[in-house]
Amino acid sequence: MARFAGGKAPFLRSVDQGGQDTKKIMRDFLIGLIPVILFAWYKNGIQVYINGDCTIWEMLYPLAFILLGGIISMLMEGLVFVITDKETRSLKAIMQKINLSFAVVPGLLIALILPMYTPIWVLVFGCFMGTVVGKMLFGGFGHNIFNPALVGYLAIGFTFSGLIGNSGGYLNPSEVLVDSYAGATPLGTLAMFKTISWDTLVAPYGTLWNFFLGTIPGSLGETSALAILVSFIWLSARKVIKWSTPVIYVGTVFILSWIIGIASGDSGLWFPSYSILSGGLMFGAVFMATEPVTTPKNPLGKIIYALLLGVLTVLFRMIGNYPEGVATSLIVMNIFTIPVDQVTAEIRANGITKKTWVKAAVMLLIILGIGFYAVTKSVNTYTIFVGFFGGVM
Amino acid sequence: MILRKAKGKHIDGRKQMSRCQPLQEYLNPSHVYLPLVHQNAVLKRVVEVGDDILVGQVVAEREGFGAMPFHASVSGKVSAVKKVWHASGKMVEAIEIENDNLNRLSESIKPETNVDNLTREQLIKKMQDAGLCGMGGASFPTYVKYQTKSPIDTIIINDVECEPYLTCDCLLSQTFPEKVLKGLKYFMKAANATKGVIAIKYYNRNVIDLFNSLLPNYPGIAIQEMKDIYPAGWEKYIVEQVSGKTYDKLPSEAGVIVNNAATAVAFSDMVENNIPLISRVITITGEGIKQPQNFLVPIGTKVAELIAKTGGYVDNLDPAKSWYIAGGPMTGRAILIDDLIVDYPLGSVIVMPMPEEKDHPECLGCGRCSDVCPVFLTPTSIKSAYERKDIAAIGKLNAMKCMGCGLCSYVCPSHVEITDFVAKAKDMYRKGAK
Repeated sequence: MARFAGGKAPFLRSVDQGGQDTKKIMRDFLIGLIPVILFAWYKNGIQVYINGDCTIWEMLYPLAFILLGGIISMLMEGLVFVITDKETRSLKAIMQKINLSFAVVPGLLIALILPMYTPIWVLVFGCFMGTVVGKMLFGGFGHNIFNPALVGYLAIGFTFSGLIGNSGGYLNPSEVLVDSYAGATPLGTLAMFKTISWDTLVAPYGTLWNFFLGTIPGSLGETSALAILVSFIWLSARKVIKWSTPVIYVGTVFILSWIIGIASGDSGLWFPSYSILSGGLMFGAVFMATEPVTTPKNPLGKIIYALLLGVLTVLFRMIGNYPEGVATSLIVMNIFTIPVDQVTAEIRANGITKKTWVKAAVMLLIILGIGFYAVTKSVNTYTIFVGFFGGVM
Repeated sequence: MILRKAKGKHIDGRKQMSRCQPLQEYLNPSHVYLPLVHQNAVLKRVVEVGDDILVGQVVAEREGFGAMPFHASVSGKVSAVKKVWHASGKMVEAIEIENDNLNRLSESIKPETNVDNLTREQLIKKMQDAGLCGMGGASFPTYVKYQTKSPIDTIIINDVECEPYLTCDCLLSQTFPEKVLKGLKYFMKAANATKGVIAIKYYNRNVIDLFNSLLPNYPGIAIQEMKDIYPAGWEKYIVEQVSGKTYDKLPSEAGVIVNNAATAVAFSDMVENNIPLISRVITITGEGIKQPQNFLVPIGTKVAELIAKTGGYVDNLDPAKSWYIAGGPMTGRAILIDDLIVDYPLGSVIVMPMPEEKDHPECLGCGRCSDVCPVFLTPTSIKSAYERKDIAAIGKLNAMKCMGCGLCSYVCPSHVEITDFVAKAKDMYRKGAK
């Protein structure tokens, strides 16, 4: 009579059969960042060097800056482990813990959404706010409510945005020499002039093709839609992210901006295209709106979440004081992840029944309401016909 | 409805291990142990220690809901009433019968003379008297299904066997295809149904061909080929695939009754020869078994004897680091000791080494579990509701719909025991709701 081990059903796990485990998912996520990192390096380093606007050492700076972000946040997380847990004093134990909590990710993301000439100590501050405050204080990987990278980014934005502008900001050495750049970034221009016209918004930067390729001013990782698209295809093919979330998010922004464009008297497709190609929308949609820990877990919730993100982004972008609406809307939606998840889980489990239709209707009304408000309000802001919708909003 | 389409998941079946071997008979163990428990009911014993027992003699009775008799599977003497390990993972009382190897049949076992003239009521009476219960796993008394008031038009034989490793139904239908079809014919008669469907996975070509060659003699019966996904053998999924209809609680709401293939084989013996339910096919398989095999055995046989008969465990098996699973690998139960008895619903025993212990990261919230859930639950939400002991939320999240298929744990990249959490949440809800 042999005695056997206990265990819980099911006794087969895809993880044990070479299926996707969390480590592989995070590894594939890091691989997905490579096209973006390489493009950032090409645009802000190699290209500038070829133009003869910097030395060979300065050429390496963008790459070093991005990698530094990852290293800083790993160091900080290791420090937190040493301070909080008396048993992890050996280097091996710390490395194991850092490995399991994927410390490198937030730092890399923070560096990628910062402009190139951010002072290093500001980057350190961002990594501190992101990994320590945004992640570790909530209980570490899997427990954080807010996307750590966004916490770091917004902390920098609220405190040191002027400083970044003074030290060079968004323009790389080649771009500084171009006179036609009115605002620092295309979205900065939109926020400054509050008009929808090709001449002020797109013409200074060339054509929309440049927006797609990413040869416009902006923070390190966000400018190239092409590089992000490559990452998107890789990440979706590896099933690291759900393809639907970025598509719905970007699609919502596209459609709402189109409506705004039409209502303001310009029905061309260039304005919605400009809206989705400029700023951090693509980057946020692919790398942050899909971040698993801080977004809803069930498929219906993910769709609602993406819709709300799109609506809020348009609202913040068109009406808000800051040029960028993506980061703010992501952080706001992080707060609403738990209720959205709860409500959509109930709706999905029960179907639309007597019990759930009120909740479903309320959710739909919120989306439509914010969307309608964003559109009318921004139309009133941008249109020359004052009081387009009677000025009620 | 959009976002509510269950897709299932392909799981490597690993069935070839036990499938290439023919079905073996092991009809005369030295002792059999008839458990005095059925589903959750305790049976009333009607024989005493020392009694002489014939094959097919009633030894115990279930009372109340699902009342039916249980029969001796060998002839001989009742030598003791003692506790034995059971597939439920507990020790239960069982009647020990010492086999005299004479196979003396009880008088009731005789060929039926007028098979074709049996009425619906007579057939249902036969099911009850012969103690027929579902042999797919739940062991639900079959006659209760057929006493339904709703009109039944289709009988489905579940020959899908979507659990990995298991091949008992496949080998049974390969060995007795005629009996499966006959059983289905009698089932159709017992429910006044006009249509019979055998649901089977598409890759079991040889079995499908066998059935097809016999089908001309059985009007109204068709084969439905199923995809190779888990849980394709789930009752609701089969009914949906076959009839396009869905139901809330019982398949009879959709005019359908689903029976396992093994139940059909047993029923055809019952109708034609009045043999009660005294034997079943069991798969002994897993990486820990030298030569995996299927056995036709009397109920109450010790599994340890069967394992010895296959050639025993592989040489380097460390029992303390292996699982000994009663039932399929997805829904079965780890038993701590290999001294188990064969019961009606026990389709297989799997011995496999435990995977290596590793550190697993936290749940990252990827939502794969809710993607694969065939009943559209969100296991992570149920888990958090369970952790904060929010019984109302567990109810709202419809956790009771979970049938424990195990897919959520299977796909989890962080190795969270999420199926177990949902099961605990269900327990909590059941207690709280009372």
